[in-house]
Amino acid sequence: MKNPLRHRWRRWVNRRIPRSDHQVLGQRNVFILPTGAGVVFGLLLVIMLITGINYQNSLIYLLVFMLGALFVAAMHQTHRNLAGTEITLVEAGEGFPGQELGFVFHLGRAGGDAIQLMLMTEDGTERSVSVTHEEVISVRLPIRGTRRGPVRVSRIRIETRFPFGLLRAWSWIRPASEGLCYPAPLRPAPESGADHLGDSGDQRRKDAMDHVDIRPWRQGDLSQRVQWKRYARTGELVIADWEGDASDPVWLDFEAWPGADRELRLSYLAWLLEDRERAGQPWGLRFPGFERGPDNGAEHRREGLRALGRFGLEAQSASTKNASHRTSREAA
Amino acid sequence: MTAGLLPARALVWLMGGFAMLLAVQWQRLPLWLLAACLLLVIWRWLAQAGRVRLPGRILKGAVMLALITAYTASVGGRFTVETAGSFFVLAVALKWLETRTARDFYVLFFILCYLAAVNFLFQQGILWSLLNFFAILVLLIGLQVLNAPDLSHPLRSGGKRLAGLFLKTLPVVVLLFIFFPRLSPLWSVPLVSDQARTGISDTMAPGTISSLAQSSERAFRVTFPGEPPPHRERYWRALILDRYDGTEWTPSRDRPAEPAGKVMTEGSIGSLKDDEYDVLMEPTNRRWAFGLANSRAVSNNVERTEDGLFRFRRPADTAVQYRLARDGAPTGAPALSGRERDRYLRLPASGEVRSRQLARRLDRAHDSDRALIRTLMQRFRNQPYYYTLQPPAMPDDPVDTLLFDAQRGFCAHYASATAFVLRAAGIPSRIVVGYQGGSPGADNEYLIVRQYDAHAWVEAWIPGAGWRRIDPTAAISPARIEQGLQEAVADEGSFLSGEWASPEKYHDIELVRWASLQIDRINYHWQRWVVGYQGQTQMDLMGRLPGNWSLTKLGYLSAGVVGAALLVAGIVTAWRQRTGRHRDPVQRLFHRWRRQLARRGVDSSHIDTPVQLADRASARFPEQSRLHQAFARTINNYYYGEASGSERRRLRWLLKRMKGAGRTPG
Repeated sequence: MKNPLRHRWRRWVNRRIPRSDHQVLGQRNVFILPTGAGVVFGLLLVIMLITGINYQNSLIYLLVFMLGALFVAAMHQTHRNLAGTEITLVEAGEGFPGQELGFVFHLGRAGGDAIQLMLMTEDGTERSVSVTHEEVISVRLPIRGTRRGPVRVSRIRIETRFPFGLLRAWSWIRPASEGLCYPAPLRPAPESGADHLGDSGDQRRKDAMDHVDIRPWRQGDLSQRVQWKRYARTGELVIADWEGDASDPVWLDFEAWPGADRELRLSYLAWLLEDRERAGQPWGLRFPGFERGPDNGAEHRREGLRALGRFGLEAQSASTKNASHRTSREAA
Repeated sequence: MTAGLLPARALVWLMGGFAMLLAVQWQRLPLWLLAACLLLVIWRWLAQAGRVRLPGRILKGAVMLALITAYTASVGGRFTVETAGSFFVLAVALKWLETRTARDFYVLFFILCYLAAVNFLFQQGILWSLLNFFAILVLLIGLQVLNAPDLSHPLRSGGKRLAGLFLKTLPVVVLLFIFFPRLSPLWSVPLVSDQARTGISDTMAPGTISSLAQSSERAFRVTFPGEPPPHRERYWRALILDRYDGTEWTPSRDRPAEPAGKVMTEGSIGSLKDDEYDVLMEPTNRRWAFGLANSRAVSNNVERTEDGLFRFRRPADTAVQYRLARDGAPTGAPALSGRERDRYLRLPASGEVRSRQLARRLDRAHDSDRALIRTLMQRFRNQPYYYTLQPPAMPDDPVDTLLFDAQRGFCAHYASATAFVLRAAGIPSRIVVGYQGGSPGADNEYLIVRQYDAHAWVEAWIPGAGWRRIDPTAAISPARIEQGLQEAVADEGSFLSGEWASPEKYHDIELVRWASLQIDRINYHWQRWVVGYQGQTQMDLMGRLPGNWSLTKLGYLSAGVVGAALLVAGIVTAWRQRTGRHRDPVQRLFHRWRRQLARRGVDSSHIDTPVQLADRASARFPEQSRLHQAFARTINNYYYGEASGSERRRLRWLLKRMKGAGRTPG
């Protein structure tokens, strides 16, 4: 923000529009100014008035007054088109870096209709909607995620130029909730310790048999983990638990790549996680401060990816949240 | 080069507005320009429909070059509003080929708005004005469609919105129209038009006036405070022609061509005094004004010449109103100077032998000029001279042919012959051109003088009495002077023979006559009170209000009107935001519940259903769970269930209980 005037304006706006997932647009936070066309229109009215004066033509006066009054009335109309709209962030998007994270907003009106509202992200994506007072409109705005971690949308501009496009009323919503960017999935190198796929995996599993805890089958155990060979041999239904084994094909462990960079490890984990999901295999995830048992499914996947995305950044994001009302720092 | 960027539905409205604005001007626009507009608009439309492509740079350049060449050729270096207006139309027509983006759309919109203003310089009649205003509204609907392309029913919703805005702002517009100070022109501006219009011209050849007799266009309207003078006294003088070259009469003393001054201010001040009369003149693009003999200028937009004629400082390029009084001094100086006498006696050196002989004979037979003139008029009265709109052609010695052979002619012929004979007999004389007569408007409020009332007569200098009016037409066809042209040529059936659509032609039919007079009356009042509401008229109206209203004070008043209107609008908006949003009483109760919860730390948004909100409230205040759930149930019951009618009371009661429970600690 080079321009100090702009800077101060933005600070003032931020003070007026605190971070919140819910925003009711009203006199306090709706701004209105003529568009470029509106300015030209104003000049045109002046020229027309001068024409009317110089030709002593009453009808031109009348035309100028009519258009001028309509312009002012349009100002109210444009303002009212926006004011009274309630906008709520209902879903903050999640996804991988480079993907578009869908932020879903709901727009509604307590009364009256809003025609042709435009929602704009800072990077220039636009969506236009009309909201009548009976319905709630859902708008999905794509925000591009760049880096792993929480994605904060600095602000979404909501604008309208209806009815004549001569005036522009706008406001912002500054969502408090954050989206999330998962680690970019990265396939671990085959020789690195964590590749459990392929034939070597079976071999290793056998090698690790001594460390296995054998326990009887309980309801809820996955069929994959039943020791079918043993069942065939003995008729006992037992489960092998490889708890604590880093080279376990089910458990994805942060500690599997000693010496690797943190972000790299997270990327490996994300890749493996996605890989298991694709294959429909159960997986468990373990890293410092987090552990989820083997399972699969969309819910499980999201939980894992979220944890990976937030790993190590939770504290940081919380501190930002605390600072959110101290808008001055944020604006800088 | 696709043309699909603009919504077709928005374009249609813009094209419609353009067509209406063109219609207002169609009478004066050259045919080729109208055709070009039509073609270019159709081109644009076909491009929109995907049938053709918009022209590339070369083709566009060629079209532009061709049209601009045609324009330059037709304008020929003149610069008036009319030529500028044609250029505007041309620019709009060419712009159609370039209308690709919203930005182009706005450029077109602005040009068309200004075109509407220019239209008001040409047409101020009430119907044209309404069409003009309507075209603006159509353009504004187009803007709405542009800004909301998926707006359904643009005519209904856009039109309704526009009508709402229009009606809400109407009081302000009217107040501003009344009170906005009418400044005098800031600087001199080009003439609206310098093209001659239908009407008398400053040359008179046989046939010039009889062609006017075929037009029922209005020339001017006159208001008298009481009874107007009788028909035979209504000689409206405009021009004096005193130079004769054997076929044509022209004015010898042309005023030096001065540059056109500023636009005239309207000149009708207060109510009419006994001798005064107001003239509301249609534009002639000429400097002359019409007045009865021996009149005096009352309003300051006309000035009297020494011949007793009236002149504007700027050609009357728009309709203009002025006031004269009938108590002026007789025209002309008490005596003619030698040079003047010479001028009013001069004739071509040769030709018209028989007429000259007649003049000499008359001169010998009479002592006084008056007697001579009387005898000449007797001759017209007694011999078989005919007043006709269809005289034979008289190429050689027209005066001789008329007097001795054809004996059939129109006023111009007889006036010309009379002036010739008088001059040949040594009596200084001149031709006066103007109008004679005028028919009453609705309820005799004013007189309407039309082009077919155009007339030419003679003025002769009588020593001691000055210039006296001599009208040979009165001797030949008294009906023309007493009743008007229609009666005078009734037998001939030649009245308005070319104008079959003119309501004047069917004046015998009572209904047609009544309707056309009523329309004229509406137009007259429109012209007088709306179009003519300018400088003096405004000050006159303000003078009737208590207090001393200067232009400056009017300026403050206008600013006050605008300020008050903005204030009212602001208050209404604020009030509506506070209360008017929820007309539905149950909605209001629901919002009271939300507000109450918000105060106690349970946030909600409008998209929460009552049940969701009740769940949240219950989680926060388990001890009130039943109250909140009951509230939500009642609301749902009201909207979706079988309402018993007592819901509102129950909701209010629940709210009160919650409030009470909220206060008790724990």
